[in-house]
Formats: sequence, structure tokens, C-alpha cells
Amino acid sequence: MTAAALVHVVVSGLATGSIYALMALSLVIIYNATRTLNFAQGEMLMASTFVAWAAQRALGLPVGVTLVVAIVAAGLLGWLVERLVIRRAIGATHWDVLIITLGLSLVLRAAAGLAFTHDEFPFPSLFDSRPVALGPVRVAPISVGIIAASLVLMAALYALFTWTRLGRAMRAVAQNQRAARLMGISVEGVYSRAWVLAAMVGAAAGVLVAPVVFLSSKMGLIVVNGFTAAVIGGFGSMPGAVLGGMLLGVLENLAPLYLPSGIRYSVPFLVLIAILLVRPAGLLGRIEARKV
Amino acid sequence: MTPRRALLIACGLLLVGAWPRLAPRYFVFLASVILVNAVVAIGLNLLSGYTNQLSFGHAGFLAVGAYTAAVLTLRAPGLPVPITLVVAGLLTAAVGLAFGVPCVRLGGLYLTMATLAFGLVVTEVILNLDALTNGADGLRVPAARLGTAALSTDAARYYLTATVAALMVAGAVNLVRTRTGRAFLAIRESEIAAEASGVPVRAYKTLAFGLSAFYTGVAGALFAFVVGFLSPDAFDLFLSVDFVVMIIVGGLGSVPGSIVGAAVVTLLYDGLAAFQNYRPLIFGTILIAGMLFMPGGVSRAVSRFLGR
Repeated sequence: MTAAALVHVVVSGLATGSIYALMALSLVIIYNATRTLNFAQGEMLMASTFVAWAAQRALGLPVGVTLVVAIVAAGLLGWLVERLVIRRAIGATHWDVLIITLGLSLVLRAAAGLAFTHDEFPFPSLFDSRPVALGPVRVAPISVGIIAASLVLMAALYALFTWTRLGRAMRAVAQNQRAARLMGISVEGVYSRAWVLAAMVGAAAGVLVAPVVFLSSKMGLIVVNGFTAAVIGGFGSMPGAVLGGMLLGVLENLAPLYLPSGIRYSVPFLVLIAILLVRPAGLLGRIEARKV
Repeated sequence: MTPRRALLIACGLLLVGAWPRLAPRYFVFLASVILVNAVVAIGLNLLSGYTNQLSFGHAGFLAVGAYTAAVLTLRAPGLPVPITLVVAGLLTAAVGLAFGVPCVRLGGLYLTMATLAFGLVVTEVILNLDALTNGADGLRVPAARLGTAALSTDAARYYLTATVAALMVAGAVNLVRTRTGRAFLAIRESEIAAEASGVPVRAYKTLAFGLSAFYTGVAGALFAFVVGFLSPDAFDLFLSVDFVVMIIVGGLGSVPGSIVGAAVVTLLYDGLAAFQNYRPLIFGTILIAGMLFMPGGVSRAVSRFLGR
């Protein structure tokens, strides 16, 4: 294996990892605000990507506009889900809400199957998938494009969480809900916005990844990788989610090169267990001390 | 035990015992599946309901038990079925303990993720051990043997399953009256309070892992005999998720709740089979509605209804 070929593999691993990172971020955004693990995150990504695809086919939109359609559709979906279902589950435990989001994921997947069949569809890409040579190294523009777009999105999220009122409110709610409420923050408003924001981040990931993995009702399974990434990095930590995603993506792409085919699918999970044994709260997570 | 309760249990046992004479063959098979799932649900509930360790990997434990039983029956055809069941249970318990000892310090979602990973790795291992497990082609399980008799009818397999399930239920119900059971109850109520009262929380959490795996391993062996054919893709993540659905729908930390949850989920899956593509849609809607209107699951709804 030459160094140049290795670079190629690592770059495509980082591209996969960026998608996992975005998925992990959207899980973490909802978790931090509401302490709920959203099982339906992957299916929400799938549904909004399908809506964008249908709009693109019906109206002949340029690919860039498709991205906007997906994000708007996702925001609407996230808002509706929070308003119509999650908010009514007052008095329910986190376990109950977990099952609700699981039910939601089943409903969304079945609905997408009924509306668009369970086939795979090609999705138009913003970037070219044929590799170009940069000196001795060959990279696919689509990999670089996915990485760049994800980094831009992550920077935007960072800015949002650091410098805006909404971001500060979300961090406050994540830290201490009661104190946040006493400071005049509308906790319900933060819940709602967290769902909208997470759905939007997921939709962007969906439009970026759909040209690579094809658009299908099964696409939502990517939530498992997102969850893995978030846990590797330390659940609740946003830099951790990005780090975990990138690590997972690179590992997945490197493992088949060095290991027999039999165990390559297990590698990310074995690594995950190994990491958790050394750092039980993930790479960047902290173990919270609970006061009694 | 009050006379009323004894009567209730006697009626229940009579119905379970007479079921193959009353119902058509398919429903006898379905009842066996419900009982197998109930044993898994009880095992998972011991772990998740009592010691707060949510597992998304129980399909993996079920697979270990099922494949152990299948391979034993293939390699040692004369082995009586109780021994097969016990060996399957103990081996799975050993796997559970080996996994539980390092993972007991993981909390909440980290443990959930580790169990999820465990489940996925198990399927991969089964695919790779194809000399034993026949890999992706699957494994046909011969009929269980009891002395000279082969349990080859649906009714015979049902009676095997029902007997074992009854023993497992009795074991779980009585567990709460032992020192271990009281420790589990204390951990369920408050981990910190239990620790402060001198309950070695870690040791009991690890024990819960082994016990839960034992239940699931025995259920896996029964599963192998009832279904008669094993393939690695039957033990996927969705099956693990189904088990979690069973215990939350039934009620966490409740043995009757586990049985009800297993029955509800199994019957729903079976009853909705005719609707094909609409099945997940309907099932998902029922899950959402159920949790919105019945938070805490069936067991809490029942105890609220009875005013307790």
C-alpha cells in the first residue's frame, strides 16, 4: 500500500466520517436539550431527503436549491414531531419517549416505502465523483466536497452555540434546566428549536450522503453509526461527536485493507468497546458526579 | 398466597396446559413463540428494569443460546433436552458475565452502545465460525430428545417450552424474596441509596448481567427447537429492539409485565402480518399512541386502574 493510496482511503474515510459526525451532532443537540435519545433521527433524515428529491424531480430544481428544500422540509418535520407527539408525552419517562421515537421511525420508514417504494434511487450530487490527480495523490471531489460542506456546517453550529442568544439558551438548558427556567429561558421553546435544528443538520447530511449510498427507505439506519460516533466521542459533547464520527469513518475505511474480510464489519464496534473500557464516558466526555 | 391468587394461578396453569387440545396447530406454535419471548423479556427486565442497564444486544445472547443448543443436539444426538437447555443457559451466562464484568462501570447510553456493539459482533462471529454454525446458509435444528422420545410435534415442543417458561417465571417471581432480589429492588429504587445502605452495587449489577444472559440463553435454546432453523440474520438489531419494546410496553421491573409485553408485541406482529407494507406503519402508530396514553406501560396502567 503506497502512501498516496493511503491518503485516498483516509480522505474517503473522513468524508464518511463527516456524515457520521453530522448525524451524531443532531443526536447530541436533541439529547442535550431534552435528555432524549431520538431513534427516529435517521428516518427524519431519510424523509426530508426524499421530499427534496421529489421536489427536484417535479420542478427540475438545481442541486443547490434541493439542499435548501431538504433543510426547510426537515425543519418543518422536526417542529411538527415535537409539537404533535413529543410535547404530549408529559409525565412519560425517558424510556417511554425512547419507544415513541422508535414508533416514529417505523412510521416514517413505512410511509416513505408506501410513497416512494423501497427501491434505491440515484440522487444528484453537488460534486463530481470521478477522482482527480493532485500530484501523486488521487482524491474524489465528492469526498472533499462532503468534508468541506460538513466543516462549514460545523463552524456554523459552533458560531450558533457560542455567540447567539439561542445557542446560549440551549447550552444553559443542557447544563441545568431548572436554573435556565429561573433565568427566564423558555425551556419548551428550546426543546422545540433543538428538534428543528437537529432535523436540519440531519437533512444536510442526508443530501450530502445520498449521492454516495443512494436514496432509499433504508437510509435511516445511518443513525446507528451516528450513535456509535457520538458515544465514542462522549455523548453530549459536540466536539466529541465530530471526533468520534471522523474516527469511525476512517476506521471503517482502513480496516478492510489490513484485516481479513471476516471481521472487518466488527472492527468499529470492537474499537468502540475497547475505547469505552479505557474511557467509560467516551474520548471527550466527562463522568458527571451526581449530588444527592 | 391468598386463596384467590392460588385459584387464579391454577386457572392460568390449566389453560396453558390444555392449550394444545383447544387451539389449532398454528396457535400452539404461536403460544410457544410468546413463551420464548416472555422468558427473554423477563431476563432483559432483570437487567434493565431492576438495575437500570438498558441492553440493545439481547438478540446476541439469544443467538449464543440458540446456536449452543443446535450444535449440541447435532454433535451429541442422544443428549437429553434438559441438559442441553442448562448447558446453553450456563454458556450464555458465562458470556454475559465476561461481557458484564468490564462493562459494569459504563453508565446509561454508554452501556447501551456497548451491548448494541456486542449484538452486532455476535452475528459476525456466527458468520465466521461456519464450520460449527454453517455461516450464512443457516442451521437446521434436529428435534430435541427426551430419553427415547423425540419432541417433533408442535404440541410436544409447546409442552417443553411451557414447562421451562413456568420454571423460569417461578424463579424470577421468587427471586425478589431472596437477598439478591432485595438488592436488585434496592438498586431499582435508587442506586445511590442502595450503595449507601451497603449493597455492593457493582457486584449485583454484574450478577444481573449473568442472570439475564442465563434466561436469554435458555430462551435461545427453546427458540432453536421451536423454530427449527437458525440463521445469523434472524438475530439482528431489530430483534434486540423488539425485546426492549416488550419490557417497556409491558412495564419495567415487573415479571407479569414482561409476559404481557411479550404477548402483546408477538401477537401484534403476527396479527398485522396480513397488512404487509402497512404493518410497520400500524405497529409504530400503536407504539406511539400506547406510550402517550399509557406511560409506564401496561403494568402501571393496570395498577392505576385497580387503584393501587
